[in-house]
Amino acid sequence: MILLPVWASMLLGLLVGFLPLVGMEPTGGAKSGSDSTLNLDPLPSSSGSNCSSQLTLKLEFSSKVVEHEYIVGFTGYFSAKARNLYISSALRSGAETVEWHIVPRENPASDFPSDFELVHIRQPSPTSLKTLEDHPYIKRVTPQRKVFRVLKYVPSPEPTAPCNTTRGTQKWQSWQSSRPFRRTSLSLGSGFWHATGRHSSRRLLRAIPRHVAQILQADVLWQMGHTGSGVKVAVFDTGLSEKHPHFKNVKERTNWTNEKTLDDGLGHGTFVAGVIASMRECQGFAPDSELHIFRVFTNNQVSYTSWFLDAFNYAILKKIDVLNLSIGGPDFMDHPFVDKVWELTANRVIMVSAIGNDGPLYGTLNNPADQMDVIGVGGIDFEDNIARFSSRGMTTWELPGGYGRVKPDIVTYGSGVRGSGMKEGCRSLSGTSVASPVVAGAVTLLASTVLNRELVNPASMKQALIASARRLPGVNMFEQGHGKLDLIRAYQILNSYRPQASLSPSYIDLTECPYMWPYCSQPIYYGGMPTIVNVTILNGMGVTGRIVDKPIWQPYLPQNGDHIDVAVSYSPVLWPWAGYLAVSISVAKKAASWEGIAQGHVMVTVASPAENDSEVGGELTSTVKLPIKVKIVPTPPRSKRVLWDQYHNLRYPPGYFPRDNLRMKNDPLDWNGDHIHTNFRDMYQHLRSMGYFVEVLGAPITCFDASQYGTLLMVDSEEEYFPEEITKLRRDIDNGLSLIVFSDWYNTSVMRKVKFYDENTRQWWMPDTGGANIPALNDLISVWGMAFSDGLYEGDFTLADHDMYYASGCSIARFPDDGIVIAKNLKDQGLEVLKQETAVVEGVPVLGLYQTPSDGGGRIALYGDSNCIDDSHRQKDCFWLLDALLQYTSYSMTPPSLSHSHSRVTPPTGTDRSLPQRLEGNHLYRYSKVLEAHLGDPKPRPLPACPHLSWAKPQPVNETAPSNLWKHQKLLSVDLDKVALPNMRAYRPQVRPLSPGESGAWDIPGGIMPGRYNQEVGQTIPVFAFLGAMVVLSFFVVQLTKTKSKPKRRKPRIKRPTYLQQQQQTMGKNPTV
Amino acid sequence: MMVLRRLLRKRWVLGVVFGLSLIYFLTSTLKQEERTIRDRTLLEARDPDHRIPWKVRFNLGNSSRQITQCRNSIQGKALLTDELGYVCERKDLLINGCCNVNAPSTRQYICKSCLANGCCSIYEYCVSCCLQPDKQLLLERFLNRAADGFRNLFTAVEDHFELCLAKCRTSSQSVQHENTYRNPQAKYCYGESPPELLPV
Repeated sequence: MILLPVWASMLLGLLVGFLPLVGMEPTGGAKSGSDSTLNLDPLPSSSGSNCSSQLTLKLEFSSKVVEHEYIVGFTGYFSAKARNLYISSALRSGAETVEWHIVPRENPASDFPSDFELVHIRQPSPTSLKTLEDHPYIKRVTPQRKVFRVLKYVPSPEPTAPCNTTRGTQKWQSWQSSRPFRRTSLSLGSGFWHATGRHSSRRLLRAIPRHVAQILQADVLWQMGHTGSGVKVAVFDTGLSEKHPHFKNVKERTNWTNEKTLDDGLGHGTFVAGVIASMRECQGFAPDSELHIFRVFTNNQVSYTSWFLDAFNYAILKKIDVLNLSIGGPDFMDHPFVDKVWELTANRVIMVSAIGNDGPLYGTLNNPADQMDVIGVGGIDFEDNIARFSSRGMTTWELPGGYGRVKPDIVTYGSGVRGSGMKEGCRSLSGTSVASPVVAGAVTLLASTVLNRELVNPASMKQALIASARRLPGVNMFEQGHGKLDLIRAYQILNSYRPQASLSPSYIDLTECPYMWPYCSQPIYYGGMPTIVNVTILNGMGVTGRIVDKPIWQPYLPQNGDHIDVAVSYSPVLWPWAGYLAVSISVAKKAASWEGIAQGHVMVTVASPAENDSEVGGELTSTVKLPIKVKIVPTPPRSKRVLWDQYHNLRYPPGYFPRDNLRMKNDPLDWNGDHIHTNFRDMYQHLRSMGYFVEVLGAPITCFDASQYGTLLMVDSEEEYFPEEITKLRRDIDNGLSLIVFSDWYNTSVMRKVKFYDENTRQWWMPDTGGANIPALNDLISVWGMAFSDGLYEGDFTLADHDMYYASGCSIARFPDDGIVIAKNLKDQGLEVLKQETAVVEGVPVLGLYQTPSDGGGRIALYGDSNCIDDSHRQKDCFWLLDALLQYTSYSMTPPSLSHSHSRVTPPTGTDRSLPQRLEGNHLYRYSKVLEAHLGDPKPRPLPACPHLSWAKPQPVNETAPSNLWKHQKLLSVDLDKVALPNMRAYRPQVRPLSPGESGAWDIPGGIMPGRYNQEVGQTIPVFAFLGAMVVLSFFVVQLTKTKSKPKRRKPRIKRPTYLQQQQQTMGKNPTV
Repeated sequence: MMVLRRLLRKRWVLGVVFGLSLIYFLTSTLKQEERTIRDRTLLEARDPDHRIPWKVRFNLGNSSRQITQCRNSIQGKALLTDELGYVCERKDLLINGCCNVNAPSTRQYICKSCLANGCCSIYEYCVSCCLQPDKQLLLERFLNRAADGFRNLFTAVEDHFELCLAKCRTSSQSVQHENTYRNPQAKYCYGESPPELLPV
């Protein structure tokens, strides 16, 4: 008889659609079912069990030193190989010989770069430890400690909050945390969640309530009466269902897709809207804001630029204040879209967008979040680590001539954040599309706190956010931007804000590691390519602005400022709200053999038309200083200097340049920029650790002094070559420059095969080159009797005891007789792609080394595949091979493992097979800097002039800068002390599961008013369900009175409801864009 | 427990359970259907035969009424158009949002950079040109046969000025292959036809 309620509840649940047996969808009324299952559940499930006995977890730990074992901490995150290398080189440089080995750490993390290594040293002496510490990449050496942790449950000494207040959260918490969430003071820096010193102390990571609005202390602003009222927020997403119980102020829903519905079929749009404005359960930031739902994505996640254009126009017409775009894509050359985003921000719409989910690879920023006028948001987890998925690296718009801007702007929680479920309830999701609405919600809330709304514009909001953001330690600016969102500080800044200009980044300290990576990873020297820092000017004074006169360079004489030359280029008009300021830094000739630190600043004055000025033609002006600090070293020898050819790398957008690894079918485009600071970052780090200085050539080959460099590195080049470049390179190599080419596949049949119909542009896409442009490369190297083939090979092999993977590479077709050629057995991938047949080809020449015959002539090394040094889709790296090739090209040391390899073959003459020809009718000329359309075949353009920098005339000042620029450089001239927060009692909004029938009379303290439901929550369904349940119930009662019960055969299936409940929780934790 | 198990196996019990579920299923589905239809009527389709009751008020060009505050086109890099059709440089904008009509470069109803098909290369001139009183007929004709995608937008337009602001913006009609303009030079159109398609 006791089991009756269980069955009744199960049936009730079934009737109201909780058990998805007959394909029912839970609707608004279903929550009552879940409530009753909860209450009737006889099992001591996790939910609610904590109420009866209050336990506190006490954690104690003690530690003791482990002998001979040391933790070697590095200045950055390096691969296991690099760490090993640093330690061995550090210990080798010491006077005494040390016996040591690395203690292997067998855990899944060992596959990833780490910033420490555990080393066992047999007889450690202070000097050997000292030599270790002296290595430039080693931060510290500490003895290994063994930590004993003891967990104790103790009864809570003080009464905690009554059960019902925490009921909503308990479901998702594994156990109640001992740490009180209440705070007593809101003084800056004291907030637990804001403590970012994650490396400073060891702490147990615990289950965390993922109520992101509370973690960011939105309740403080709620309590002051700010809840987002009067701010219009647009959510561009998958729509929202009409009767969602979480929203009270949905002003309008519009559909811009070709599907005839306004409802969300995916849950993405609902979640995003919930993070911004949900008023119950998983609370959003601004529950009183006016929600405008724009459905621009179909349930199949399809959307078109044209839908966006019309929807954006509508948003402008409706005078939207904040717009969240949890979408993004790589095509920053979609001009209609990019122009439209500019137009939106120019109309004072604050755009917040997700930076993308393509991390941890660099060069993966998504548009529109990578635009200067948009707030680009990256994701972190609740332990303040950059989320693995969060896109990062500089913007790639400026390549090859310039350098990328810093993005994302800020980061915030984007991993395991809880938000509204599709029909009701809460769910948790991860992705930057979660982080974006966190910021959008915060921005909405912030906007509603400002009395003079005229002051709120896309620039001032962004300035306030980045000036208040908290920097995460150990993370560079191309991953975290300005740091983690701090809502309360942003509130303080925004409320004492005066219109002004500011810079992002606000200072240039090329010595600051790791924040200013990659600048801090390589000092500058005389004769090197100028270091470019692309600074964004944010102008809060008006939608347009200009730079008055010219920026002024003021070197600090006491701090050797005269040892550097600075050239500045900038946007002629700062529109909308922003512009660039590109600072090129070079070492003056007089410092050619000098070593030290040089400092100075660039001063910029920005002017905007004053709109509220009675005088016509009045202007607002704002002057900002950009401090500069650089480390100068003497020019390294030629052999140490490697030049990376960026000019001849083309990528998507604009054209279809296919992936270098054909196995990666779901990522068909080569879009990461192919730069040493994007997807060749690991290679760059490796070369730096080997002591090479790597510079980037963003101009034609005719534009550099070859006598300065040991090796020119050309990797995966898609561009054509000017005839003048070909001539110049020949002359350079005769004069001692060496060349390394990492090529890739080029096969016209395969190129035709990998064409595809692009849903977004509704047209067929045919690649304009293969992985690399082999016909062009062959033109370049033909004078030495070399050529690549149009073969397409793939496979594993071993070379000089290293495992190698050849991922869609070509082979060497011709090579001079006296060269060294290595051949391997590989699979013919071309055959596989074209005919789905597998065949192994014996002796495919993959590697060639050649010493040019002229006196003092350079060396040439060719390898047929670039995938093993590229970070994207790399399976096995071959940095060792690059080392060996650089040893050969720079120092003329032929690696014996290659010259005496049993894979060495006689160089192919290649006369039997014709060389690959360019794909007939390709459109490379549309995207090429070299070719232009012509009647018949495209012809090379006239060679462009080499870029010329006009160095700013220095105006020396007798100033000194503080040693730490970051701490002293003000991001905004805002006096933070002015806006003191009242010392408020900490408070948490009560969160209760929704039960229909309950009127609006429940108490939500603070600013949240218990507003009307958005719509009447499913009135008829629960009634109907209840009646049905009553019928069944009465029937059972009748039956039970008739029949006697028998002993049960096996355990009842009462676990069922619990199981379902769990299933519902874990559903949909998939990252989305 | 056994009783219940046996009970559940009985066909008619299952029948009742199934029947109730079915009734619930049908009602919920029907409800949903009804809801989508309502939304659609709310925001999109209107009776096709019925003339759309456009709310647009056309202000006639003589502008005899006294305007103390002007709306203007806000976004311009260098130029602005106010609701009276004046185009001026940003520096010539008065505090009330109107263009200073006495400034030498200020012009009213100017169609500079506009082609015969009603497409201009500068947005502000497009708006100014569109505000010309004699464009009213053209605009009314356009409104009555506005494309589906446009419906949402143009039902929300309040008056002539808002209509011109919205009409001159680039839209779904301005692109081919989604990510390129049909005509990157003259892409702001007040007229009925989309920009002329330029060959790639």
